[in-house]
Amino acid sequence: MNATVSTSGSVRLPSKGRDTFRLVLTTTFVVLFGWSAISVELKWSRLLEAPADMYRLAQVMFGNLAWDQFGNLVGLMWDSIAMAWMGTLIAAVFAIPLSFLAAENLVGRPIAWVVRQVFNVLRAVPEVILALLFIPVFGLSPMAGVLAIGVGSIGSLGKLFYEIIENIKTNPIEAADAVGASAVQRLRWGVIPQVAPELTSFLLYRFEINIRASSVLGIVGAGGIGGALADAIRFKEFGQAGLALIVVIVGTIAVDAVSGSIRRRIVAGPKQADSVEPDEEPLPPTSTGAPALASGPRG
Amino acid sequence: MSLDTAAKLEAGAEEALELPPRPRPSMLMIVIGLGALFFTVLSARRVEFSPGDLISNLTRSNPVFDGLLNMSWDEMFSSRSRKAFVETLQLAVLGTTAGVIVSLPLALWATEIGNPYVVPRLILRSINNVIRAIPDLLWAGLFVLGVGIGALSGLLALFFFSLAVMVKLTADTLDGIDMGPIEAANAAGATHTQMLRTAVVPQILSAFSSYALYDFELNLRASAVLGLVGAGGIGQRLDFFRNRGQWDKLWGLVLMFFLVVFVVERISVSIRRRLV
Repeated sequence: MNATVSTSGSVRLPSKGRDTFRLVLTTTFVVLFGWSAISVELKWSRLLEAPADMYRLAQVMFGNLAWDQFGNLVGLMWDSIAMAWMGTLIAAVFAIPLSFLAAENLVGRPIAWVVRQVFNVLRAVPEVILALLFIPVFGLSPMAGVLAIGVGSIGSLGKLFYEIIENIKTNPIEAADAVGASAVQRLRWGVIPQVAPELTSFLLYRFEINIRASSVLGIVGAGGIGGALADAIRFKEFGQAGLALIVVIVGTIAVDAVSGSIRRRIVAGPKQADSVEPDEEPLPPTSTGAPALASGPRG
Repeated sequence: MSLDTAAKLEAGAEEALELPPRPRPSMLMIVIGLGALFFTVLSARRVEFSPGDLISNLTRSNPVFDGLLNMSWDEMFSSRSRKAFVETLQLAVLGTTAGVIVSLPLALWATEIGNPYVVPRLILRSINNVIRAIPDLLWAGLFVLGVGIGALSGLLALFFFSLAVMVKLTADTLDGIDMGPIEAANAAGATHTQMLRTAVVPQILSAFSSYALYDFELNLRASAVLGLVGAGGIGQRLDFFRNRGQWDKLWGLVLMFFLVVFVVERISVSIRRRLV
């Protein structure tokens, strides 16, 4: 009894640790935010009117949809999807071989570093800017968009790919070495079977992101539904703009759904495979969380 | 003797060796493969893809590549470009902050832990999918149309864009958290808010901060193109030089933009690595 009283009297919560890193980070952020909010040139009072403005816009856009344009718009959306797919494939053609050269466990550190810097450069520039630069080369055609998406995706696909490759198990490679495999055979039987499902999955994931990119490339003139939308907005044909917006949304979500279910199926593998390998360790966060994060839903 | 046995064994193995059958690709893989091939052919025809044209177009001399060769460096230091750059950075900071703050409660409402009711949860997730299906530049175009030309439209576009990304990523993280602390909080008689505050938020906080930084990187890239539709930032300068065909100056801006993105990304990645 006595003991209980004395412990409850002297009980002390452990003091919270002071995290300097977090403190510095928070302070920097608050300063940055304050500076931005104060010095940015915009009329904050307009913010209050924005909801009403947007409501009026929605009314004129969705009030009388231009259904006669429907077939045309669906065709243009299909253009955008085709552009995204071809762009993703072009990116994959370059990214897959390059990513083997960027994996430190397959090639030396210096080569990997150089290739990674190439990926970083390619990743930094948005597709729309690439499209701006490609249009004078290819004219106002879908090819400008395809190449913009292709070049823009090499960096992020390559980054995802080499992270997958760096996380493979070494046993199959050792086994291939033990039976005297050549370098190509080693790659074919030791590496590729391990990485193929995830590689395909990330390819599809990138495709989903690229659809979002390709549906706006038309705004700068690179083909696809973005052009129709931009024209409708420019000439104040709100009914057509509204319908185009709906087509973009429905098309994107539909492709997401199809591609997402294929992705899950590929990563899950055949049903029996799950039960054969009960002791398979969960992938480290860097191989599942981080790459998906690194490329991210960009649209 | 031992050599003999070894030789015998080898000979025997040579005869009796039967390789296990090669694993056949499953039906599903064949279907997916054929589907992908078919889709590729259709797409290639749709975009009029031809490697010959590609190479001839790329090797022909054109103003853009000429501009790259004599890039104009002084555009990187002109005061107008610097001002546009500062605006781009400010928009990215403000848009990200607003999106991140609003996304946390929405993400909680979109998951089973924070919101036990199925119907509102599904509605919220569907709305989020719709928001996420609209690309950043399209948001900007819509806001320019509704609210008017200027930085405010860009800010609103970035807000919606980062909101959708953050809610999606955070909700996915929330679906996979450890239920132990939640049970403990409930057992100790915590209210719903207290439970969320003490058992859920601390679990996702580091991932959430990491997503926020990632979102900032995305927004920085996005905010560079907002100006193309009149929503403020460096994009307006890009559009200006593009319309006048001054590719040398445009390349200078692109290079500067690239440097800014590169530096911000390095910082952000190193912070993210420490957070996780």
